[in-house]
Amino acid sequence: MILTVKKLSVTYGAKEAVDNISFSIKPGEVIGLLGANGAGKSSTIAAVLGIEKSNYEELTMLGKSPIRHRKEVFQEVGVQFQETNFQEGLSVREACEQWESLYKQTADVPLLLQTFGLVGKETQLVKSLSGGERQRLAVLLALISNPKLVFLDELTTGLDTKARRLLWKQLLIMKEKGLAIVLTSHYMDEVEALCDKILILKEGKTIFHGTIQEVIHVSKKATLENAYLYFAGEEDWV
Amino acid sequence: MSTFLTFLKIEGKLVWKGIDILIFGICFPIILATLFGYLLSKDGLAGASNFELSYAAVITIGVLATGVMGVPLTIADYRHRGILKRFQVTPVSPLQILFAQGLIQLSSALVSFIGVTIVYHLLFDYELKGSWGIFLLTYTFVIIAMYSIGILIGSLVPDQKSANVWSSIAYFTMLLFSGATIPYEVMPRFFQWVMDILPLSHGIHLLKQASTGEPLTDGLFHIVILALCIIIGLCGAIKFFKWK
Repeated sequence: MILTVKKLSVTYGAKEAVDNISFSIKPGEVIGLLGANGAGKSSTIAAVLGIEKSNYEELTMLGKSPIRHRKEVFQEVGVQFQETNFQEGLSVREACEQWESLYKQTADVPLLLQTFGLVGKETQLVKSLSGGERQRLAVLLALISNPKLVFLDELTTGLDTKARRLLWKQLLIMKEKGLAIVLTSHYMDEVEALCDKILILKEGKTIFHGTIQEVIHVSKKATLENAYLYFAGEEDWV
Repeated sequence: MSTFLTFLKIEGKLVWKGIDILIFGICFPIILATLFGYLLSKDGLAGASNFELSYAAVITIGVLATGVMGVPLTIADYRHRGILKRFQVTPVSPLQILFAQGLIQLSSALVSFIGVTIVYHLLFDYELKGSWGIFLLTYTFVIIAMYSIGILIGSLVPDQKSANVWSSIAYFTMLLFSGATIPYEVMPRFFQWVMDILPLSHGIHLLKQASTGEPLTDGLFHIVILALCIIIGLCGAIKFFKWK
């Protein structure tokens, strides 16, 4: 297992934001955390990364604790947050250079820039990029260390169709080579294209944990989207 | 290139692009130096010694602005905008970020030191009575103490608002009540007691002794206070550093 989470809980005051969640993934596997806004997806990711305080029975990445062995673990784990802010006045090239300098081994950055459609933008300021370009840069930086495991929080929000397809294709190639991915998404086509397993959250609790075939089968719905709405309890709204 | 050098290069460029460091770190101390020099060196009543003593005080203004204001404000801004949170999930150590920011701010403090020295030397014929070696060593010690305070503030404050409050309190009280601008010697006795609490007062006492060539042996108490600032500041910063 490249990531093991057992009985993870996050409490904000009296509110249980994440309640007893367990999951694990192997190399080359992709798990999708699904749920409405506020269901606890980002809190789960933050707790798994050690940013948010949590209670757990087990929390290991690459066999180590991301809290006690932070520096070693994050040599091989990449992260793209839902919202990525950059230093004022930073250029695309500087952002890449700074991130490259953090790791012992890095990917071929010019190739990544090409893959993510950012060639020719190197001298531009990050804040002058379009929303989609900034999002692609954030994903690029998460992959710059050639990680074994990557967290992608709403990876294609704000991207156009072509850019999304391009990104999926790239991630699938990397998945073939053994990259494990934890992602959150609101787009069911994306989940179908990328995920082996899904975890549906509602008010911090696990409502469903299994494969896409299983979720469709158990819910007796025709599509993943309907199955998701059935489990996430949003069906009444449709 | 190593992480630290890359940080120095990139963050340095970003900080120097900003106007704050130029105004508060460089221009303000040099303008004050010119003003002090003009007032004190021409005023017969103030006497030459007051003018001589003022050099040791004015060279700390740039240190104060960059160390106690610049460093904590930059770190708090990075924390506020989630940039530190992004660094938390990389192998970088908080120390590398803090020291890089410290060194960058220090570069402007050094420019202001050179500027003030040139103004005092060329415009007002200032001569340092003590040894330059001992004086610079003392100055380095005072700089490290002030930066330790700034790094501690930057590490501890939860948000930008409290960074502003705490660094302003530290900056303005020390600017006004430690002899950096208004000389310790002209203050009423009561204020001198208050001033004795502030770390920079001790730094300026030491610098005055070093600049006039007095032996530093009777400055032992000042040295202990500044050393405590360094120990408490740096240990506290490492222990309590907040990423978000």
